Amino acid sequence: MITFSISLCLLAVGLSPAIAQVTYQDLLKASPHNWLTYSGSFSSQRHSLLKQINQSNVQVLVPTWIFHVPKADHLESVPIVVDGVMYLTQPNEVYALDGRTGRVIWQYRHQPALGKGPNRGVAVYGNRVYFTTPDAYLVSLDARTGNFLWQSKIAEFKDGFWSPAAPLMLNGKIIAGVAPGDYGMNGFLAAYDASTGERLWRWDAIPKPGEPGSETWADDSWKSGGGDTWLTGSFDPELNLVYWGIGNPAPDFNGELRKGDNLYTECMVALDADTGRLKWYFQFTPHDTADWDAVEIPVLVDAPFQGKMRKLLVQADRNGFYYVLDRTNGKFLHGAPFVQSVNWAKGLTPEGRPILAPGVEPTLKGTKICPSTSGATNWMSPAYNPDTGLYYVAALEGCGINTKSQEKFRPGGFPFYATGYVESPAEPRQLYIRALDLTTGKLAWEFKQIGSTEYGAGLLSTAGGLIFAGCDQGIFTALDAKTGRPLWHFNTGQAITASPITYSFKGRQYVAVEAGSNVLAFALLDEAKSAGRAKDKAGLDDPHVVRQ
Amino acid sequence: MKVIWMTAALFLAFFAAAAQRRADNANPLGNSEQAIRQGQEIYNHNCTVCHGLNGAAGERGPALAAGREYARRKDQAIFDAVQNGIAGTLMPASGLPAMDIWKVVAYIRSLRATASDALVPGDVAYGEQIFWGKGRCAECHTIRGRGGILGPDLSNIGGQQTFEHIRDSLTKAPPQIPRGYQPVEVVTTGGQKLSGIAKNDDNFSLQLLDSHERLQLFTRDELRQVIYKKQSLMPSDYDKKFTAAELQDLLAFLSRQAIQGAERPEESDEDQP
Repeated sequence: MITFSISLCLLAVGLSPAIAQVTYQDLLKASPHNWLTYSGSFSSQRHSLLKQINQSNVQVLVPTWIFHVPKADHLESVPIVVDGVMYLTQPNEVYALDGRTGRVIWQYRHQPALGKGPNRGVAVYGNRVYFTTPDAYLVSLDARTGNFLWQSKIAEFKDGFWSPAAPLMLNGKIIAGVAPGDYGMNGFLAAYDASTGERLWRWDAIPKPGEPGSETWADDSWKSGGGDTWLTGSFDPELNLVYWGIGNPAPDFNGELRKGDNLYTECMVALDADTGRLKWYFQFTPHDTADWDAVEIPVLVDAPFQGKMRKLLVQADRNGFYYVLDRTNGKFLHGAPFVQSVNWAKGLTPEGRPILAPGVEPTLKGTKICPSTSGATNWMSPAYNPDTGLYYVAALEGCGINTKSQEKFRPGGFPFYATGYVESPAEPRQLYIRALDLTTGKLAWEFKQIGSTEYGAGLLSTAGGLIFAGCDQGIFTALDAKTGRPLWHFNTGQAITASPITYSFKGRQYVAVEAGSNVLAFALLDEAKSAGRAKDKAGLDDPHVVRQ
Repeated sequence: MKVIWMTAALFLAFFAAAAQRRADNANPLGNSEQAIRQGQEIYNHNCTVCHGLNGAAGERGPALAAGREYARRKDQAIFDAVQNGIAGTLMPASGLPAMDIWKVVAYIRSLRATASDALVPGDVAYGEQIFWGKGRCAECHTIRGRGGILGPDLSNIGGQQTFEHIRDSLTKAPPQIPRGYQPVEVVTTGGQKLSGIAKNDDNFSLQLLDSHERLQLFTRDELRQVIYKKQSLMPSDYDKKFTAAELQDLLAFLSRQAIQGAERPEESDEDQP
């Protein structure tokens, strides 16, 4: 026995590991068998080429396993899958699961476990897994064991920062963001060396006096301007540009305390991936007073626009408008509301700037503002299917009553909202899944999530002609991508506040989603195998007899 | 207006006092072996009536060694509780001299102290040489990414485990092989033979970290044979392999392996999501 121990140990020395090595080429290629990044690919289309599960057989999609994440509440992480191994997070924790069975391979707990959630998942590269923590560290682990490799401080926890977004891995360089802008701490993005954790560059979302954009902040208001970076961005490897949505200005609801457009809050920014320098920006909501963080996932599509092939960036923004931009230069090409509940702007100028409706801003007594501060959409991921040419988004109709007050910034991580909002009782909220024409934003179809007044569940598109969607009722639904007709559903039992994924391993396609405190994986019922096993082992013809 | 100024002055005085207290809240005796030993003696004379011997539960007071909440308290908070009692509870003021109270504080903290808190004596540099050299620990163990991965990661061993636990791991065979480190040999239905560690297993699947440090995921119907080895890969005779001084040096090195994270605020709730 001792001989075995020693020989096994000796074998282990000097041999290079052979699986789960994720290369930059893998990230570029985004093989449908794996799910390697938060949004499935650098373009963030969330469209998988897998089609074993399709419109003709989705009716026999069955749960294959459920994993309960201990002490979890409402999971928001997107599972990452590499060669059948699934990595998922909750605040301060990473789990590696067997993607076929849901069995735990390892668990890592970051300590001390401080601060707030949520956490939205890992990044992978080489043999490593990376995640950020509620005390604003970037941590690197061995993907095979969860062994600790290094950690780098992104920002000061004692100042109030945390880091909820899944980091974005590029070519050996990993990008992480911070929260919360609502507390008046200024946001930034930073890139780190994937091998060592050394910081390579940092881009500050709020310009300092004298820098371009600083003229958009009155007096010293820039010092507590917010502009956080709490949701993962996208990447164009040809242009070498990182696209990232920036959060709201602070204080959220009282714009008098920060007169001006408040750059680069509420912007889509394009940063040079090597230097972090700003290439261009587009501001969706100048001088926002409704807390409409513009962090929603930027989806990159190459498609004809008005007869000419363009590199597009599209975003359904929390402010209620769907935007089409040229991602080479940030030029506004088109915009239109994707919810009916929009009262703050009458439309958009040819440059994409909102034409404000007078008097629709927070007051001491309260003003009705649509969409509500929850937003027409939020962190839940959209999807794009190149076969249908449709962009899919979880859209929330509804309005809020917004108020403002005088408030002073307090350093050390305290809320700096200058009051807030309540949902307007006159316009009850309603969740829809909507399919929009990519370039016009015109509604192709909508699916009403009856009974759902909260959001959180993102979308997945597959080459099987399916859109997978969840809701706060816990119902996980597969829709016909062309028509929105429901083809399958499953009651997960808990509200879904994360975005689904798909992957395959050893010839079988799985769809996975987090619901409340659980992760569930679904696959087609293998009727032939079930029947065969039953006959072999029990001598019965009943295909529902399971081998013991 | 006068009331406002008085209130403001009171607030300022409160914050000034609080700031002073924060600055002073460390135990002046530290966590020296002597203070802990003397503290244990004082504790067992004065506190066991309610709290029980050696930090175990008593008739009227909680087990101080059991709950993490006591380990989380600042030294000054434990000192205040012993000196003044806790209002609204059975906990009385102790009447002990201040230095005796600090010794008791050192002892209470030692009940939950990890090895990195314990300032384990020994030649750390030589212990490190043993770890990477003749101890051959790194054939199976990793520290910050360096070493083998079949055994547990030791990057934070001193921050997680007590000194006694680490010492026993090196010198006593565990009653059972820890889950996640079970040595196995498997034969696949295709005839491939593999050995390694079962990271997890059940009646229907087995997750193998093989001897080439590759993860291999199997369902049971893909395996023809699974042999569970009865002995852990971890030797337990380092007290015989090494001199007493060498073992102590290795323990001193291992005890100092801790991951330093953000500083915990005084009243942080560890379980907050």
